[in-house]
Amino acid sequence: MNLRTLILAGALSVSGTVSYANCAYKNDTPVSMLAAGFEAWKAVANAMAECGNFTAELDQEFRKKQPAAFAATPSLYQIGGVSNGTITPLLNEGTIRPLDDLVEKYGQHLSPNQLIRIDGKIMAIAMMVNTQNLQYRRDVLEDLDIPVPQTWEEVLAAAAKIREAGVVDYPLGATMKSGWNLALEFINLFYGYGGVFVDDNNMPTVNTDAGIKALETMKATTEFLDPEYLVSDSTYVQQQFQQGKIAMANLWASRAGASDDEAESQVVGLVNSTAAPRVLDGGAPATTIWWDGAVIARNITDEQAEAAFRLIVEGMDTGMVEANNDAAIWLIPGYVPNRLAQGAIETLQAQPPAVSYPSTSAMGLMHTATGNNVSRFLTGSADAETTLKAIESDYLISAKEAGLIPN
Amino acid sequence: MSTPKALRQSAALRFGSAGFLIFWCLIAAFPIFWILVMSFKNPVDAFASNPLDVIFGPATLAEGDGLSIMDVVLGLGVLWLSFRFAFRHLPEMVEKFTKPGTVIMGWVIAVLGFALVFIVVFFGILPWVLTGLNAMSGPLGDPIIGLTPKNYVSVWVDNEFYRNFINSLIVTGGVVTVSLTVGTLAGYGLARSGSNLAFWLLILALIFRALPHSVLVAGYLPVFINSAEILRPILGDAAPTLYGKPYAVIAVLVAINQPFTIWMLRSFFQNIPMELDEAARVDGCSHFQAFRRVIMPVMWPGVITTGLFSFLLGYNDFLVTSLLLDAQNQTMVPAIAGYFNRETTTTDQVEAIAAAVSITAPLFLLVMVFQRQIVSGLTAGAVKG
Amino acid sequence: MKFKTFAAFVGPSLVMMLLFIAFPLVSVFMQSFYVTQPIFEQVEVESCTPGFPNPICVTEIKSQPVLGADGKITTETRFSGLESYRNVLELGRVKAAISNGSWTQLMNVDFWKALRFTLSFTLLTLPLVLIVGLSIALAVNNAVRSLRGPVIFISLLPFIITPVIGGLSIRWLFIGDGILTAAMEWMSGANISMFAQAWTIELMMMFYRVWHVAPFAFVIFYAGLQTVNQDTLESAIIDGASRWERLRFVIVPHLMPLIVFIALIHLMDSYRVFDEIVAFSSQSHVISLQWLTYDFLTPDDAGNRAISRASATAMLTMVGIVLLLIYPLKRTWRDHKGSH
Repeated sequence: MNLRTLILAGALSVSGTVSYANCAYKNDTPVSMLAAGFEAWKAVANAMAECGNFTAELDQEFRKKQPAAFAATPSLYQIGGVSNGTITPLLNEGTIRPLDDLVEKYGQHLSPNQLIRIDGKIMAIAMMVNTQNLQYRRDVLEDLDIPVPQTWEEVLAAAAKIREAGVVDYPLGATMKSGWNLALEFINLFYGYGGVFVDDNNMPTVNTDAGIKALETMKATTEFLDPEYLVSDSTYVQQQFQQGKIAMANLWASRAGASDDEAESQVVGLVNSTAAPRVLDGGAPATTIWWDGAVIARNITDEQAEAAFRLIVEGMDTGMVEANNDAAIWLIPGYVPNRLAQGAIETLQAQPPAVSYPSTSAMGLMHTATGNNVSRFLTGSADAETTLKAIESDYLISAKEAGLIPN
Repeated sequence: MSTPKALRQSAALRFGSAGFLIFWCLIAAFPIFWILVMSFKNPVDAFASNPLDVIFGPATLAEGDGLSIMDVVLGLGVLWLSFRFAFRHLPEMVEKFTKPGTVIMGWVIAVLGFALVFIVVFFGILPWVLTGLNAMSGPLGDPIIGLTPKNYVSVWVDNEFYRNFINSLIVTGGVVTVSLTVGTLAGYGLARSGSNLAFWLLILALIFRALPHSVLVAGYLPVFINSAEILRPILGDAAPTLYGKPYAVIAVLVAINQPFTIWMLRSFFQNIPMELDEAARVDGCSHFQAFRRVIMPVMWPGVITTGLFSFLLGYNDFLVTSLLLDAQNQTMVPAIAGYFNRETTTTDQVEAIAAAVSITAPLFLLVMVFQRQIVSGLTAGAVKG
Repeated sequence: MKFKTFAAFVGPSLVMMLLFIAFPLVSVFMQSFYVTQPIFEQVEVESCTPGFPNPICVTEIKSQPVLGADGKITTETRFSGLESYRNVLELGRVKAAISNGSWTQLMNVDFWKALRFTLSFTLLTLPLVLIVGLSIALAVNNAVRSLRGPVIFISLLPFIITPVIGGLSIRWLFIGDGILTAAMEWMSGANISMFAQAWTIELMMMFYRVWHVAPFAFVIFYAGLQTVNQDTLESAIIDGASRWERLRFVIVPHLMPLIVFIALIHLMDSYRVFDEIVAFSSQSHVISLQWLTYDFLTPDDAGNRAISRASATAMLTMVGIVLLLIYPLKRTWRDHKGSH
């Protein structure tokens, strides 16, 4: 409420942005970027901005804007921020350019993991990976003498014990908000059971044993969840963790750090993480692996592309990572995983490896169809087989409309 | 003034009516009051499950941000005085100092002046005075309620919310101006024409109003992004990319709001007697001159009321602005959505609440000042159907 | 007024509406009968993604659109007739559900689920908005003059507040252990989860809508009450009419045009209910017609959008609104004929 504090805070915030490592060169070509607006992109965009002539648009609507903006001549943005899901429309429409020549010229030091190759060509430079992992209250498990669960069966057994002990409101948390989040939970388990969503002709293959088992496992977990699970997104689950209301959740790795944030959390230092649980013995962790990275538009001049690429390299350098170490699981050299990144690292190193979320048109349609139907099974208005059939028939209608399968 | 006996009310009715009103006011104000309280707390307090924790903010207090009894008493006193001033004296002053034709300008200046003085007194002078008073007043000066301005600092300073504020002003100002200009013309035309064409235009407008907005907006995006390419054959190299431009958004919002505007203005015009135009026409005015010189001056209540509705539409819009504006021109409401992203933290949420309160504050001021005009405007015009 | 003058006055407004509403409307109408789709080809693609320790490369068969010589996707547009409408209405599943006599089964078809909610939402909130609005207006009119200003001010708050913010502020009161839920739990002693079942969510959505719109009805009614003919009122009193009778036979008829006006606006707006679905994230339990359209139009990660089905739903929504509006519109037509 004090004018002086206001001014002081203003001055501090200005000096805060300047204290980054400075850019190694001066950028003369105007470059702009359209990306999603989460912490890691903010860090990279700030680092890019130090080189000058750079504007970043970190926009929640980027999914709607990006395909159209990159298809314009000339493209409205030079750099795009994508993930393995959202790169698909740009790839399909051919609106991003291969980066092999630029990598050779400016990106020799990039780690091989950063080079996203599609059909042999480097199409994107990745900066971070994300995946779900099991985060748990170390103190609760120790007190009740429960070993850290490695499979969903163990998770459920542990949840039952925790509920019996009554130390937290709900033993489990899950990001089951209807739509995209809920669909991803199903997808993770379905892959865990070795399922395949579509065959080579894009025909759906969801109505299988793996589908039924995935649904049943989901249903089994709901017994231990806050009854409002169909509205809980990852922010909500994270909050439940911070307020000490839940003891375990299979949550995004990028969320782990928040439980140690002293300004928000009441459980600082009490949360640990381990690999995402498996569902089959000797199977892969039931999760998908995601990466985020940058692409360059095709409809721009070579000069712009070169400037854009140099900015990407500069923005994703070691200095940026050192300044923002805990903002993501970086792929960039210089990253030091902290205690809470342990689970993500274990998930990523698991053998056999977890599936990387497939970037295909069919998967996009399948994701939507799943998101719209799984909740019916969980609320009890349809049984497992009806649900899977409904997913398939919804998928077929959209796939026909999209032209993926003949009418 | 004595009330006729038959109009006098039984005690039960009076209490019932007053009780209902109090109940309604609680319901109306509580959610807004609550986000106001949350916006001044740190994340732990704001989302605490015990309401008393949210109000008294122990965690916020523990961080050293708090208000003493002295602060609360004086702060409420200043607030109360400014409310009284805004309701009682401001309207009188405006009436006294402005000429009839410049009422709007007078109000704009008065509101801006009021806001400025309020900000300086409340956030500048008051804290300064209180620092001194708290030091002197012993236990009364010890902080008891946790309260922190840091959410507002991060919103307005770190996230440069003032940029969004300016953009909102531009878009809203544009929407109100264009919408009223275009709308009064059409409303007048429709009110004075008894033809069936006029009627069907009104019905058409009504059907337009019924169209789901999400369909319209999704249709604009590709056209706006590629407009440079599409318009090049006509406009040559001057062809603009409409995506991201405030004027394009203003045009869209005006169009979406036109049906309501013309319906409303039409009924205002219908209440202005035809004889007035006819007299002007006899004096040799053209239709347009009659409209401008004779009708408009008596139309102000209607224009202000309709203008307020346009203002609300432009200011509160989310669907159109979030999709068609780029980051530089982003208005306040879609900017809030920026706090709710894939990586939203509790801190982000509290900041979003502070941003939400910041968005609501100008609306408060607006209604506080124009409330009489809304009621008298509606009474004078649209209400007669 | 001559046609030319009329055209000059109405022209600018009409042009804007044609350009930004009618034109998209026509294109939506057309799109609902056509399907535009890219031509896909099957290709074998090797792609590499980050893996630990080494990148993981897989070769798989993928469908991707064929790019034309201009670098854009080759698409073909074909006339599909009523196919999109059929895909939306899913009459086959409806028939099966009806022959089984199963309401749950019927409600598993998105369009009918959305229609059920949209209609019940619209028709239930309409009387509530009118009654609450009129009650507040009467109560304020009854209050001491000096209190009216502040009361009107407070009453208008829910109406002026940005819908997104209003929705969220109500959501926060109820979600999880939000304070109102906590208060209800304290009073009832039971564990209440407002977001766990359909009917509580619907209740909150209706509460929010009435909270948001009733003030609008209130100001309009309040303004109308200022113009009630005092002579009529007094002669009613002399005739010995009770308070209720005066309300019923003098005030309500006087306010009738306003009631129709508010009903008209409210029918249109609540039939397009959308904000509530998002604010209360109710997709799992209830959806509305406009939300369905929006969902079809929202691209998934791969950029697919069901434009034809979205257009078909939008057209069906429009038809619904027009049907609902027929009665109030008839009245307007009569007034129009009467006034000239």
